[in-house]
Amino acid sequence: MERLKAVILAAGEGIRLRPLTLYKPKVMIKVANRPILEYVVRALAQNHVRDIIMIVGYRRERIMTYFEDGQKLGVNISYEVQDKQLGTAHALSLAEGKTGERFLVLPGDNIADPSMVKDILASDEPYSIAVTESQLPSKYGVVLLKGRQVTGVVEKPESNLGNLISTGLFHMSSRVFSHIRSCASAGHHDITAVFQSILASGERIAAVKTAARWSDVVYPWDLLDLNARVLTEGAGAVAGTIESGVHIRGNVQVGEGSVIRSGTYIEGPVRIGRGCDIGPNVCLLPSVSIGDNVNIQSSTEIRNSLVMNDVTIGPGALVSHSVIGDGSRLGAHFVAGAEKAQVILEREIHVVPALGVILGEDTVVGNCVTVEPGVFIGSSCRIGSLRNIPKNVPDNSSVV
Amino acid sequence: MCGIVGYIGNRQALPILVESLKRLEYRGYDSAGVSVIDRELFNSKAAGRITELEKRLPDAPGRMGIAHTRWATHGRPSDRNAHPFTDCSGRISLVHNGIIENHRELRAGLESRGHRFTSETDTETVVHLVEENYKGDLRAAVSETVRHLRGSLALAVVHLSEPDRIVVARDESPLVIGLGQDENFVASDLPALLKYTRRVIYLQNREVAVIRRDGVGLESFEGEPVERDIATVDWSPEDTEKGGYQHFMLKEIYEQPRAILESLIGRIPGLELDIGGIDKEDFDSVKIVACGTSFHAGLVGKYVLEQLTGLPVIVEAASEYRYSANTRYSPLMVLVSQSGESADTLQAAREARRRGSRTLAITNVVGSSITREVDSVLYTRAGPEIGVAATKTFTSQLIALYLLGMAMGKHRGTLLPSQLQELIDGLRKLPRDVQSVLDNRGAIKLTAEWMAQARDVFFIGRNVHYPTALEGALKLKEISYIHAEGLPAGELKHGPNALLTAETPVVAIAIRDHTYDKMLSNIGEVSARSAPVIAIGLENDRELKKASDLTLYVPEVRPVLSPVPVITTLQLLAYHVALIRGCEIDKPRNLAKSVTVE
Repeated sequence: MERLKAVILAAGEGIRLRPLTLYKPKVMIKVANRPILEYVVRALAQNHVRDIIMIVGYRRERIMTYFEDGQKLGVNISYEVQDKQLGTAHALSLAEGKTGERFLVLPGDNIADPSMVKDILASDEPYSIAVTESQLPSKYGVVLLKGRQVTGVVEKPESNLGNLISTGLFHMSSRVFSHIRSCASAGHHDITAVFQSILASGERIAAVKTAARWSDVVYPWDLLDLNARVLTEGAGAVAGTIESGVHIRGNVQVGEGSVIRSGTYIEGPVRIGRGCDIGPNVCLLPSVSIGDNVNIQSSTEIRNSLVMNDVTIGPGALVSHSVIGDGSRLGAHFVAGAEKAQVILEREIHVVPALGVILGEDTVVGNCVTVEPGVFIGSSCRIGSLRNIPKNVPDNSSVV
Repeated sequence: MCGIVGYIGNRQALPILVESLKRLEYRGYDSAGVSVIDRELFNSKAAGRITELEKRLPDAPGRMGIAHTRWATHGRPSDRNAHPFTDCSGRISLVHNGIIENHRELRAGLESRGHRFTSETDTETVVHLVEENYKGDLRAAVSETVRHLRGSLALAVVHLSEPDRIVVARDESPLVIGLGQDENFVASDLPALLKYTRRVIYLQNREVAVIRRDGVGLESFEGEPVERDIATVDWSPEDTEKGGYQHFMLKEIYEQPRAILESLIGRIPGLELDIGGIDKEDFDSVKIVACGTSFHAGLVGKYVLEQLTGLPVIVEAASEYRYSANTRYSPLMVLVSQSGESADTLQAAREARRRGSRTLAITNVVGSSITREVDSVLYTRAGPEIGVAATKTFTSQLIALYLLGMAMGKHRGTLLPSQLQELIDGLRKLPRDVQSVLDNRGAIKLTAEWMAQARDVFFIGRNVHYPTALEGALKLKEISYIHAEGLPAGELKHGPNALLTAETPVVAIAIRDHTYDKMLSNIGEVSARSAPVIAIGLENDRELKKASDLTLYVPEVRPVLSPVPVITTLQLLAYHVALIRGCEIDKPRNLAKSVTVE
């Protein structure tokens, strides 16, 4: 029998996650030191789905360099390039002729739970959509049901149509491609239109309700919750050099080649990557992920944060409920404390219960800089010493 | 360079042999051939690509055979000169890598005894010698033959009367046996084997092996039995796949941030290099010996080591060092070879030992030949490199040289602890600096479109950027076939200025270091002769932008470390120029990845 293949949609940019997506696609943002997309691939591998077609586009080299042909994760990955991000149906159409008769479709930017993949694999309807309940159905495609059968999908409804939303995980028949083509000729490139076309043709679409947790990352601060959740999984494992006088409690992972210097206190769950230099006297409190090649200098405290690869944080800093992007360098006494914050994004006010800073990639910050809670600092910025940053700083700007 | 593969087992040999050959394509070749034994000996060969050979293949069901890709040293590329070669009876078939130095005299003798030759190659003499020496035992015939050969060789031989074995021999040219389940393999290079097995036996010099379906026996040329441990290879075979990239070269350019990080892990901050303490010994001087891109890495190493250790450093091409006079001084000899198999560098290592020097190899391949010829090894951890134009292995070699300089400087006290700390911070930042060059390649693409029309391009720089200029020029000429020259910027006025016109772009590397002002005046001189200037400098350098026609920026980085992001820029520039010109980027004409002939 032909092996079931999966198509992962990973071409999008993830503009709502700026500045973290200036140089990389959303799917490559790391949570607990793994790209979001890697969780998707692992969920497939756990369910023995090993042939994967990745639709890539924006900054695709990041994806290809990381995953290569998939062998390190025990899967075979081939790539199709979507040059213009026209829509999910258009992205999916690039896999036509390569999928086989039945296949899975997954979004690359949600952490898929392996049990969710298992649930939808069990469905033998020609089309199935994995659905879940959501607090914020108006952000998603709401699925209308009659029994188990889907009667319609409404993208971002303005009125209350129920709280069951599509997770973007589908089990499909290759007949979908003819529907995609007819929608495309009518100028529709989104998957919702394709489902309507399928329903209009009289074919059935089943809904598969999944009890598995489903968490979408829409805004940067969603990364913090997701990170905290993922960090509770997996066991502690300490490699590298741990100097005497280091206290490690709870679930803590330290990667190969990392040095944890004396007096450092780590309370898990905390994950530290490879080749890091941390301490002396650093305090890492629960729900912190630290990437590879990170240098955290003396007497710095970090809690509930994501510190990406190649970051340097100077001595005496406080980083709380924050995301620090790849390659950024923060000077001594950097302070990003967390408070309840109001963030305006896409002309909407979001109240985040606790947020520090969202700081992009390659930004260099001088000494004694304080950032007000909920501020976004862009990628490739230069911020001088002795500054208070009260409001957002756009990409590529200087504050001197 | 030439590639050998062989298979014996329960499966049809032909598809496995062709697949394995394809995995050696990156070594460069001009013809290919295959022999398979069933009840008959099938032999097929073709000049050109392996796909040419595939078109001619018989559907031979045989379960054992040998195959070869050839890179011409004796006799031009043609069907006739391709391997395998058969003897007069058509019962013996043989493939060979290396050069038989005494083949002319051997051939004269064989011809006088009635052997008919079909080619101009040195290899054909070997198969006729095996024929003469064959008395019903192929292994004995091969052992007897190799004793009469001078030069370098890796051989694989099959005989129609002994379809249960492949006999192989090695002297100076690499050969690896791969062990499977009820099947075994042989190849001149690991990537050919990795799809099938990771358990290998490295054959060593002056050894013969009999490979059967269910076992392998080793002995020396002199007939002494040899015991050899089985090694396990930790590269995955898929490391050699393109993974979505159009070319291996681009994939490898993009792998540089990771390759650099790998080279640093566990080595900073403590500078524990695991090189047997050679960094803590006392030397009066250092000599770096290498070929090609590794030679350029060595030249950067000269500036780096001199600056960090205060020791005088000489850099020599391996092919020159070997034949230089023995001046009876013993510097620390640093031998740089990506593959660890470059024949000239291997010979240089032996020569250095003969002269009583302590030797350190910098190589990317664990267990490669050079590692057995030297006192200590400092491994670069770039992973396999397939593109013929070296990219990530060059930057990883630079990292190794920085680490070596820092470790020696630390021990010698020529580096203050604070300076050392700053360098460590700088190294830590390098993966990101390179990533930043990759993330901003738009400007490089535009420059490439402009440069692709040029017939000649000059690259100039001073200090560490003189060798960077050489390497940038090498990349451009290797893959785009545009004539390119790297020069110390100060040398322009001593001749090359005469060649500058409005049609000769000049790439000028001008990092804000102690030579910066001089570089600006050189750029002025170039512009005065109306040659267009493409400057490479540190970000926000407005002065440089004013002085040049096009400016490419790299992130703010310590001058001594700046060759790493600068060469990344030049690699991408060469790549995009070659792409626009439609060149065969991963397999440039007339070039081979690992040059195992001298």
